[in-house]
Amino acid sequence: MRTRFISSMIVAVGLFLGVATAPAQTPAYRAPRTKDGKPNLNGVWQAVNEANWDIEAHSAAPGPFYQLGAAYSVAPGIGIVEGGPIPYKPEALQKKKQNFANRMTLDPEAKCYLPGVPRAMYMPYPFQIVQSTKQIMLVFEFAGALRTVYMADQTEAPADSWMGWSNGRWEGETLVIDSTGFNDLSWFDRAGNFHSDALHVVERITAIDADHLNYEATIEDPNVFTRPWKISFPLYRRIEKNAQILEYKCVEFSEDLIYGHLRKVPLK
Amino acid sequence: MRITLAVTITAILLLAAVPVWAHHAFSAEFDVNKPPTLKGTLSKWEMINPHSWFHIDVKGPDGTVTEWMVEGGSPNTLIRLGVTKNTVKVGTELTIEGYQAKEGTNKAVGRNFVLADGTRLFLSLGGSVPGTPGAAPEKGSEKK
Amino acid sequence: MNHRFLIPLGVIALAILVAVVLVAPTSAAAQAQKAAATATKAAAPAKPLPRTPDGQPDLQGYWTNNSYTPLERPNDAKKDFYTLEELREVEKRRAAQEDEQTVPGTTADVHYDFTQFGLDRSQTRLTDNLRTSVIVDPPNGKLPPVTSEGQKRAADRAAERRKQGAQYDQVQNIPLGSRCVYQNAGPPMLPPGYNPAYQILQSKDTVIILIEMLHEVRVIPLDSRPHAPQGYRSWLGDSRGHWEGDTLVVETTNFSDKVGFRGASENMKVTERFTRVSDDAIRYEFTVNDPSTWEIPWKGEMPFVKINGPVFEHACHEGNYGVANTLKAVRIEEKKAADEAAKKGTK
Repeated sequence: MRTRFISSMIVAVGLFLGVATAPAQTPAYRAPRTKDGKPNLNGVWQAVNEANWDIEAHSAAPGPFYQLGAAYSVAPGIGIVEGGPIPYKPEALQKKKQNFANRMTLDPEAKCYLPGVPRAMYMPYPFQIVQSTKQIMLVFEFAGALRTVYMADQTEAPADSWMGWSNGRWEGETLVIDSTGFNDLSWFDRAGNFHSDALHVVERITAIDADHLNYEATIEDPNVFTRPWKISFPLYRRIEKNAQILEYKCVEFSEDLIYGHLRKVPLK
Repeated sequence: MRITLAVTITAILLLAAVPVWAHHAFSAEFDVNKPPTLKGTLSKWEMINPHSWFHIDVKGPDGTVTEWMVEGGSPNTLIRLGVTKNTVKVGTELTIEGYQAKEGTNKAVGRNFVLADGTRLFLSLGGSVPGTPGAAPEKGSEKK
Repeated sequence: MNHRFLIPLGVIALAILVAVVLVAPTSAAAQAQKAAATATKAAAPAKPLPRTPDGQPDLQGYWTNNSYTPLERPNDAKKDFYTLEELREVEKRRAAQEDEQTVPGTTADVHYDFTQFGLDRSQTRLTDNLRTSVIVDPPNGKLPPVTSEGQKRAADRAAERRKQGAQYDQVQNIPLGSRCVYQNAGPPMLPPGYNPAYQILQSKDTVIILIEMLHEVRVIPLDSRPHAPQGYRSWLGDSRGHWEGDTLVVETTNFSDKVGFRGASENMKVTERFTRVSDDAIRYEFTVNDPSTWEIPWKGEMPFVKINGPVFEHACHEGNYGVANTLKAVRIEEKKAADEAAKKGTK
């Protein structure tokens, strides 16, 4: 009785001072609408964090080749994974460690392979959201990767792919994207975090003001993790005049890595 | 008029733009002098580009099982015809005539795929595979 | 799960009507064909062409430019258009040629069966372009004469290639398409032979063209911004689009000098025009401008017709076992040959 009285007084004082005592409830931002009445998320966007190095919290570290010195060393990051380390099954954690130890040759990014989901969303390069009524496309600079989100005429994946098969829907201001149909070949980052072809990703993208989106994704893969887990980070609009996606075709840059040992005169 | 037509058509055939890599690259990759006939069951159809790959478990006379990878075509047009990763079932019996990879491993390019009932696996026939349980019998163009 | 579509020959009949109407009349025969086609269609009331919610012409959907029409007019074709009959003959013979049985045990037989995977040109809907060539200007349907600068450039490029050695000495000597680096995406967007599928998606200020072969994505801003600075070059160039009435006009510059479309320089400029002429078809026109290579600009035209989707992820480089297998095989053969020679030497 007494504690309840004290709580009420705190709330009353809080309200008087204009301070929220409950968890902050910011009024939802209402994005401008497209002509077909949906939140307008069109534009060029980019994550600004170190998740591509390692989606978990990590210290600064040397890069894999001393010849490149500090220029290609690992920037520190507090990570984008919510609520503790990634919940690997014990044998999967062993595989992650092996991946890390061999990342110079195993990281699909080095081979210019398509980055997969959600890695494409936080690589340090811009991507563009192009919204039409029945489909939304996300076009990524790196390797010209593309995600197609079916907002209508939704089906299941006919076959597995690197960027998955995405069905989307609107929940108020939020674009919800439900993706399956992944192969088991992409990584989540340069640190060897990985998944199987049972990967299931549910993303929620919400505009929080004119130039920022909130991005969250729940990741589920019963072959690799003991439970679903979540990542979140903001996406920033590239506001410079005439911001555009440029062509970053990188196959040629990876060929000596992949085929160099098969040359007539092998590369050292 | 007819003569002009015939000459025109001949000229076009000579300029035929068959995809560059169709014959050229394959004979460098696969050995015309090593034409195995593989009899086994499908363990996986990797529907990837630029070529899909059929993984076949081939049982030897002594009962040992060898896995072969057999190259096929791009799946993209088939997907537009309704073919999916479930179309050719795991366990489907296949007899494949092909040419073995020159680099010596158990890889081959699949020249002909024949099902258990003797009909040809002809994926582009509207997506239904002749001989699969439940599928309506299809008439393939009998090629061989 | 309703992507199951057979493409029966009957569909081609409908495409013929569309293709004939599309063709710009430059001869009496074409005029007559157009009149006949228009007369047949005149019976049905014209439906307004679709528009996006922003009021722009709707070019969206899945399309193909699949056709046997060559870029340049064959030497014996004395006219701009085939009759329908003649085109059918051409298609029948080309389809038969693609379908030809090769002799087992010969080098020509060493490949998978295109027909089995729906990859013959006859197995995707044909546009039934009646033109004898894609090129419509110069009027003889041929590329214009090449300048001396263009000829020198071609010779220099050939010499450079020869310096690199034999085709399988290193991956960089293998054709670009086999490496999954570049396969004639353009612009201009010419038929790729197989997997000839495209998708167009539109927002108010951007048009996306997805090209199936190598899964190339063209992002075309519509907001009158200038082209990227000259220091930035790319395989597909830098495109800018705008609407002229109901036609989407796309100008592309900033090509990399690695592209060399038909011998072009990096200063090539391509202008494309997309006009939806019916529910079922888009008229596609293009002009190639490169004074350092061709004395005059040249133009081409072809229809795109509707197909069903999807355009599935063509992750070519990721699945490219073929290059590794081939290089390995060639190295093994070289070693065998070297070992044989060594043996003979020590006898």
